[in-house]
Amino acid sequence: MPTYEEIKQTADERWKNLTEGSESWIRVGTAMCGHSAGAYEVIDALRSELESRNITAQIDEVGCLGVCYAEPLVDVLRPGTKSRLFFRNVTPDDASSIVGSYIAEGELPADKVFGYLGEDSIDGAPDLNDIPGIARQQRIALRNAGNTAPGDIYQYIANGGYEGIHKALTQMEPNDVIKEMTDSGLRGRGGAAFPTGIKWSFMVGSPGPKKYMLCNCEEGDPGAYNDKGILESDPHTLLEGLMIGGYATRASNGIVFIRHGHDGPIDRTEEAIRQAYEAGILGENIFGTDFSFDIEVALTGESYVAGEETALMEAIEGKRSQPRFRPPFPAAYGVWGYPSTINNVKTYSYAPEIISRGAEWFSSIGVNRSTGTAIICLNGNVEYPGLYEVPMGLTLGEVVNDIGGGVPDGKELKLLQTGGPLGGVLSAESMSIHIDFDEMRDAGAILGSGGIIVGDEDVCAVDLTRVLVAFCQFESCGKCFPCRLGMEHLLEITERIARCESRPGDLDLMRSVGNTMEASSLCGHGQLGFGPIRSALTHFEADFLAHIEERRCPTGSCLGPHIAPKNTRPYAHDFAPGAS
Amino acid sequence: MADDVTITIDGQEISAQPGQMIIQAAMDAGLYIPYLCYYPGMKPFGACRMCVVTAEAPDREGNYRALPGSPASCTTPISPGMRVTTQSAELQGLRRGIMDMLLSEHPHGCLTCHRIELCGPADICLRHVSVNDRCVTCPKNERCELKDTVRYLEMEMDTPLTYNNRHLPLATQDPYWDMDMNLCIVCARCVRVCDEVRGDSALTLQMRSGRSLIGTSQGTSLLESGCEFCGACIDVCPTGALVEHDYKWDKAVEEVNSICPHCPVGCEMKLEVNKRNRLIRSIPERHAAANRGQGCFKGKFGMEFVNRRDRIKSPMIRRNGRLQQATWPEAIDFVAEKLPGYKNGQYSLVASPRATNEDAYIAQKFARTVMGSNNVDVASNTRPEILKPLHEQLGHPAATNPIWDLEDSKRFLVVSSNMTEEQNVLAVPIKKAVREGSASLIVIDQRETELARHAKLWIRPRIGTEAALIGGMIRVIWDESLEDNEFLNEYADNIQEFRNSIIREFDLANVERITGVSREDIQTAARLFAEERPGAILYALETLPRQLYEECSRALVNLALATGNVGRRSSGLYPLFTGANEQGARDVGCVPDSLPGHRQVNDERHRQRVSGAWDADIPPSPGIGIRELAGAVDSGLVKAVHVIGDSPNFTNGELGDFRTALDSAEFVIAHATFENSVTELADVVLPSLTFAERAGTYTNLERRVQLLRPALGPKGDEEADWRIICQIASRMDAQGFDFDQESDIFDELNNLITIYGGITYGRIQAGGIHWPCLASDMADVAILYQEPQAESKLKLAPMSMSDVPEHESVEYPFMLARGRVLHQPDEDIEIIQIDGRNAIQRDETIQLHPEDAAELGIVEGEWVEAISSRGRAAGIADLTGPQRGLVSMTTLFGDLITALVRSEDPDPMLNVPTLPLISVRIVKLTAQVAAD
Repeated sequence: MPTYEEIKQTADERWKNLTEGSESWIRVGTAMCGHSAGAYEVIDALRSELESRNITAQIDEVGCLGVCYAEPLVDVLRPGTKSRLFFRNVTPDDASSIVGSYIAEGELPADKVFGYLGEDSIDGAPDLNDIPGIARQQRIALRNAGNTAPGDIYQYIANGGYEGIHKALTQMEPNDVIKEMTDSGLRGRGGAAFPTGIKWSFMVGSPGPKKYMLCNCEEGDPGAYNDKGILESDPHTLLEGLMIGGYATRASNGIVFIRHGHDGPIDRTEEAIRQAYEAGILGENIFGTDFSFDIEVALTGESYVAGEETALMEAIEGKRSQPRFRPPFPAAYGVWGYPSTINNVKTYSYAPEIISRGAEWFSSIGVNRSTGTAIICLNGNVEYPGLYEVPMGLTLGEVVNDIGGGVPDGKELKLLQTGGPLGGVLSAESMSIHIDFDEMRDAGAILGSGGIIVGDEDVCAVDLTRVLVAFCQFESCGKCFPCRLGMEHLLEITERIARCESRPGDLDLMRSVGNTMEASSLCGHGQLGFGPIRSALTHFEADFLAHIEERRCPTGSCLGPHIAPKNTRPYAHDFAPGAS
Repeated sequence: MADDVTITIDGQEISAQPGQMIIQAAMDAGLYIPYLCYYPGMKPFGACRMCVVTAEAPDREGNYRALPGSPASCTTPISPGMRVTTQSAELQGLRRGIMDMLLSEHPHGCLTCHRIELCGPADICLRHVSVNDRCVTCPKNERCELKDTVRYLEMEMDTPLTYNNRHLPLATQDPYWDMDMNLCIVCARCVRVCDEVRGDSALTLQMRSGRSLIGTSQGTSLLESGCEFCGACIDVCPTGALVEHDYKWDKAVEEVNSICPHCPVGCEMKLEVNKRNRLIRSIPERHAAANRGQGCFKGKFGMEFVNRRDRIKSPMIRRNGRLQQATWPEAIDFVAEKLPGYKNGQYSLVASPRATNEDAYIAQKFARTVMGSNNVDVASNTRPEILKPLHEQLGHPAATNPIWDLEDSKRFLVVSSNMTEEQNVLAVPIKKAVREGSASLIVIDQRETELARHAKLWIRPRIGTEAALIGGMIRVIWDESLEDNEFLNEYADNIQEFRNSIIREFDLANVERITGVSREDIQTAARLFAEERPGAILYALETLPRQLYEECSRALVNLALATGNVGRRSSGLYPLFTGANEQGARDVGCVPDSLPGHRQVNDERHRQRVSGAWDADIPPSPGIGIRELAGAVDSGLVKAVHVIGDSPNFTNGELGDFRTALDSAEFVIAHATFENSVTELADVVLPSLTFAERAGTYTNLERRVQLLRPALGPKGDEEADWRIICQIASRMDAQGFDFDQESDIFDELNNLITIYGGITYGRIQAGGIHWPCLASDMADVAILYQEPQAESKLKLAPMSMSDVPEHESVEYPFMLARGRVLHQPDEDIEIIQIDGRNAIQRDETIQLHPEDAAELGIVEGEWVEAISSRGRAAGIADLTGPQRGLVSMTTLFGDLITALVRSEDPDPMLNVPTLPLISVRIVKLTAQVAAD
């Protein structure tokens, strides 16, 4: 079994070959943003172009740099240069100019040049550090995203990877790790913002030897892709974080739980686990210490509620993903009945840097009780949608207007929808709110998993609410009565209002159903299920009143085609007992 | 048990068990918190949120802190000093809010009708509510928990929520049960009871959100989903969504608790009777110690026989070859005149396995004292040897431990038993413990039984080598020092001699060769069973040759002793016979070799004691048992046969050709409920009451003496069997048969039977108790042999390796092991409709040893046929058989159930075919024949 130093040496040599070798190193963003924009076609075109010109070059698939609007993003590190030249919105047709002029000749093509990153400036190309989407980011969890190939463990190691777990195993006691995590002020990024170090400490005393560290990558929020983004861009940072957590809590096993159908994250995580075992970083007696740890990937069906921590455990056990009641809490009785701790992908992904660089460094970033960075999935009616890791404490306005470039086509910003469908809706007046767990919660929205959807003046708050409620209704697991039945009624009433066919007292009826759900539901899904309606009513009551009193939709968007699952109460024509 | 905790509920201080949930503590204290998804005895689920409360509990400093929100009391554990509020305007508001929504998709004409105050149970009117919402369309109207809860909540029923009937078609094509998903509230009790309590998972929640509903877990029918038709889902359903198919709409006017007559588990059932004196429902009693609210297909759906119109209602005497109706005095005279001619051994009496202790006691007393014959037996007593080693080595011929202690066993060894069909509820704690992962199960059986599917190790030894296999296991235990020496030294005798016999006789290589079971499997089985305690051994030995019953039982008793699994909770031995009161019949002496109280007939001192009590002589040598009876009649030894009750074993061939034998008897008396193969030959037929019309006691397989109570009135002139015998005896001028009622008989027998000494009708009113119970002021003994006895230690019996009987039939060279399971996940199955009811259609598989197949020229996947002297069955050859000479075939339980539903037998559950091994020959089928 190789020592860490030996592995690191191999990695450094390989990295040197890549960056200082005689071949061009081409990196293509193939995370979901790049993939869907056609990155794989671009790669094929680049390969055949290289072949036809008889040029050898290394092509690596990398993750997401954050500026998703510019995908497919291709960058080239030419031999002899120290800076990467980026091409934006590349199509297969651009391959000939990238290969023909830049790689072969070192000449910048006429279009598609995005800019450069690196020490040396490249004439004729702007410095990407001048655009807010790059400049305002401070990347910790996503530090390697877009830079190293997720499919190559050595690129991760060459950039400081597995240094954190090595440090923890060789220089720290498990309790030191927990103290470091607690001191860092890191709070869970899955939505509840519970202090991670304290959560980990719950499981320390649980009886072993079999204990589980679970990682939640269900990520079912529409408009959220930061967990997937990490796994696609840099799965090793998650694995290292899981190992650190495992060491701190004396766990024996890790499970990365990924929603069925997230093929990119699944494939890359599985490949990363395979490589880690092969390199001797996972398994028995890691780095020659007495710490052993195994990690596997578990999948489930497409169910939003499977992201709830106890429902997720049910899903791992192969059962219907319905929440369990607590107590017993997972730290005492988790997956298969073993003590378990569960964190979000993002939360774990901070751990390697916190351990390597120290709690003090981490806690110096951010504001108040929200330390570190927020990983924002910015989308909707915004100029520059993307995946931005920014320090906590920025205002929503800075994120939307500076980084996101504001609302396009000269329209007015009307609303922000944050924290997933169970989060809340904020009005245009909210732009001064800071990205801070507590401040956002007090404002009636949540940071949640980090999704921010921007709506312009053409968005009808009623229509948006209907879509959110339809989502929440469709995704209720159907176990507890208030959520199963309440979501149905909420949807029915919202749909009624959206059709301008509301009945007298509908708003009160919604509030009464919502209160029952909030007070008596089993899990967060039902407890928060009324949230979207409540915040929409708070900020956009006028929109509702227009539908109710004037029988009209001010923006007309309610009259458009319905894009959400329709009311799903069972009807005889499509449901028979026993039919699957 | 930990100290009680004191908590306060609505200002009332109650004490509760630590770890209990609030709702349990409240229920135990007689306080009501509304609930719909919770069910006592099942794990909490926390779905309906109807049981929400507010609570506060002291922290470490003693300051009271409120629990966040309104927690569900079914999922919130109590803590010392907790204060709970179950009633407040806010809580009622929440509950009403949920109930409003629930009723927005549940037909509620029964609740909103303005005539509700005027309406009585089972009243019918035609107005006021739309048809599909009407109270009378709900089969559970007036029995519905939803309605009770609505009334408790004092609902106004004026919600503005939209009402939406689901308009789903009813599922009524499966056997026994109907499903109306329009009435379902998705509390998942049925799904949970099926999975959690019964270990079956035949039901499941389908879809999600507002669409989630109950469905079958495979396909569209229970038949293909692994259902055992126990009806537990029906019993827990709070609404009319799941109900019994028969008497669906009938209203009970009376409920009587009695004991199920179908098997020796002795489930206490609540029998519901309608106003026309018909038994309409049978519901396992939740508070019963023997079955804890569980039942099975037989007890739940096999009671219709008591209602049948073709019951024999008056005595009949055969005149001129035909049975002719007679009066009771005529019939009694007829019998009493004939019987004196057959005294002293020419008379034989066969009691029904459903005969009560009182019947059996009177029957054997009559045979012994009036007829001078020890020829008495129970019809189901075909394997008496499985009890003999228990009697000889331990002390009592009975199971050592109670049924539900099995929940906490760590190991189970089940030998040749098809418990799912023969003693169904006994398998419930076993499956539960195994599925929860707290226990491991070893099954030794040539057949694939339901329990084999749950086994960690399923061993299929060569036929008749089970005793050798157990001997081999004991050898491994001794070789590896896995025996419980501490226990043996304190409790057991004969250790050295026993050990020597094991070392001498059971060489593992030899055991391996004889049994055809690999050394590794023998070792694994031994280690698995011995490494953790307590372990229980359950054995029926149904597939063994008769001459090996005793030897194998002895081996199992030895194994239990060697591993210290006697006299401890959740350990022990359970011999599995089949008759409902076979244990009781044995206890009261209704067997040929023993007198009341297990006293040996051939023991002078024992005989004196009984004969002294009766003031009558008892013949000194053991009589003829049921298995020898056919032969004895054939040879003319026995000339008069007195058969009490409808007896299963006469028809399934286990007892030889009983019919032909009876045909040659001079005089046959039959007490019967239905005309059957015995009444066809009887000289006199005396109509007897069924269990549902009778009082008396049954003793179940855990030695629990329980009370039968009459639920129905007689249909005609039927009588209790003991009364009939007493009348005959009196007519024959015998003394000692003067009883007024069952309890008088019981008072006599508990004087005579020491182990019943403290049991009286008064004591078992509230629930049965175990024997031995020596005096009325003494507690009963649930677990035998708990205290070491210095003077009579438990005995290890030396064992030897005996010859395996050779199977020598040339015509039928193979033995066919027929198994039956609830579910075979890998096999294709199709549900077809026969007469509008679901039925299974699939190709069966016949498993052969590859060498046998090679000799017959059979290749994998070919159609073959197994032919016995009594029938034939075709299937696709599968060459993975474990032993040469053994072929096996596993059918589905669903097939059995559909056959029972279609059966024309008046009492089909009495005649559920058992699965003994049968001799067959195997022939290849051509494709053409197979297709036909």
